[in-house]
Amino acid sequence: MTLRLLLVDDDVLVRSGLRVILESEPDLTVVGDAGTGREALDVAAGTDPDVVLMDVRMPDMDGIAATRELVARDAQRPRVLVLTTFEDDDYLFRSLQAGASGFALKRADPDELVDAIRVVARGTSLVLPDLTRRLIASHAPARARGDAALPELTGREADVLRLVAGGLSNAEIATELYLSRETVKTHVSSVLLKLRARDRTQAVIAAYESGFMTT
Amino acid sequence: MPPSTFPRTAAEIVARLRAVVATAAGPGWPGRVLYALATLPIGVLCVALYAALVGSVVAVVYGIGVLLILLVLAAVRGFAGLDRRLARTLLAVDIPDGERVRRLPGVLAPLRRLVVSASTWRALGWVGVRVLLGVATLATAFFGTAVLLGLFYEVDWNLVNALPLLALVALDVVVTLVVLDLVVRLAASVAPRLLGAGAEQQIAALQQSSRRLADRNKLARDLHDTIGHSLTASLLQATAARRTLTPAEGRPVQPEFARQALGHIETNTRAALAELDRVLTVLRDGDGPAEGPAFAAPSLADLDDLLGSLRDGGLPVALVVDGEVDDVPPAVQELAYRVVQEGTTNVLRHAGTPLTVAQVVRSGDTLDVRVVNERASQLDSRPGPGGGRGLAGLRERTAAAGGTLRAEPTPTGGFELCATLPLAGAA
Repeated sequence: MTLRLLLVDDDVLVRSGLRVILESEPDLTVVGDAGTGREALDVAAGTDPDVVLMDVRMPDMDGIAATRELVARDAQRPRVLVLTTFEDDDYLFRSLQAGASGFALKRADPDELVDAIRVVARGTSLVLPDLTRRLIASHAPARARGDAALPELTGREADVLRLVAGGLSNAEIATELYLSRETVKTHVSSVLLKLRARDRTQAVIAAYESGFMTT
Repeated sequence: MPPSTFPRTAAEIVARLRAVVATAAGPGWPGRVLYALATLPIGVLCVALYAALVGSVVAVVYGIGVLLILLVLAAVRGFAGLDRRLARTLLAVDIPDGERVRRLPGVLAPLRRLVVSASTWRALGWVGVRVLLGVATLATAFFGTAVLLGLFYEVDWNLVNALPLLALVALDVVVTLVVLDLVVRLAASVAPRLLGAGAEQQIAALQQSSRRLADRNKLARDLHDTIGHSLTASLLQATAARRTLTPAEGRPVQPEFARQALGHIETNTRAALAELDRVLTVLRDGDGPAEGPAFAAPSLADLDDLLGSLRDGGLPVALVVDGEVDDVPPAVQELAYRVVQEGTTNVLRHAGTPLTVAQVVRSGDTLDVRVVNERASQLDSRPGPGGGRGLAGLRERTAAAGGTLRAEPTPTGGFELCATLPLAGAA
């Protein structure tokens, strides 16, 4: 299966560089690019990408607003991977809050970047799990309302959510809980459904913001 | 009311007393003894200062008093500075420096601050305290000695009263020493209040440090936006170029892309270095005398090189120079170079590779610098450099040189960056 990508960055050089790097992977194809958030929305509507690689700071609608808009249009597709020059905590957390599935550094090794895209598309694990977990844990307001704020989860689902929020992948959760991967996948899906989270990143945010996970 | 209230309050009082004593405790008794010994001569000096002040106020009548008053006030401040150091050394109390009137520029400003500054009047207050401390020390020492002498010479010592008399002598010595020590401790606890920084100074210092922080934040943001961005773009271009030159299955080698990428990398790196140079200059300026730029400032003659690498990057750009530009001051030449650099780099970044013209026109004592590009090719139909990452910095520099900078879309769908620089402005 080929993944369809949309590149969004206000710098032509970043886009053309990324295009060459990503197109050299057999399972990735760049279906479009855009220089502003607003343009990204138009191009996304016309090209139906699987993953949008989104710059944060752009003129004429930044990446955070564009992500929010994309998510509002369709709860499932496309997934958004935020591309950032620096690990600017505040922007990154706001992008995740807006609905991005993960983030990657533009200066990352090309293989890491490609990996991040595949992980975001599959959704079976967090991108940069440790960084992401720490980012969410440190930014999520400590409301500490306890489990009550989350919809009823079964005991197993709560276990799974705790591990997801800990940054574990489905395979790792399967080992941890002595379950089959398929069972874990089912549990994760039902947790996401109950939390109305579009992916596990959003589930982790919900887990921290509700006080289910405490920092 | 809980029964524990009274003991707790008492404990608090004891704790507070301990704290007062502890803050004034200093490095030990030798320092306190020295301080106590110095109290008397310094007290005499302080009386002299007060007398001088009163004398100069009287002298106002004779016309020379104002100068004398200023002199005495300056002497009071100088004395306060010395005494601050004395207290720091001998009593180890932490006293922040007062306002530095002498550091002010000009002649009148220091004089005005000398009279108006609250720290002058607090120093005067401290001089008064010093007089009282001197009197207290003198009185204590006098009374203690008088009692001692009385005990030795006015009383007939014999075997019966020797023990109680010795006890009285010891008591007299101990009480005198304790009172003297208390006087020193009192000085130690009052000194920071009258010799330290006043509220207005603390506020000023706070404002200054927050301004410095804001400057640093701005610098960090600038670095993030300019150098960080240029390096990121260069890195991605370099990575891409290497891939296009690496033969792989089902992928042709693309030397043309690699050549363009190298041109972009050259342009971007040069811009990043220029920005680094600017930031370093700012940092050096902030830390003391500037040592001049780390690299030779570019001039209009360097534009050919700049545009050459842009052409290698795929941008069709022409340079038009009108009028005599050889005698344009170096600072203006550099600024003009930066305008062309920013304008063309932005075209490449935001509009791709449309036809672009860089124009430098000398007319009288102004230099007009213009970078204008055609509508972007349909492959890259993006709006112009809306944000303009380096544009804000360039606008500041242009304004500082007395010029103006405009950046706006043209009616035909292109973009124009235009600077007017006075030749006298930055000479």
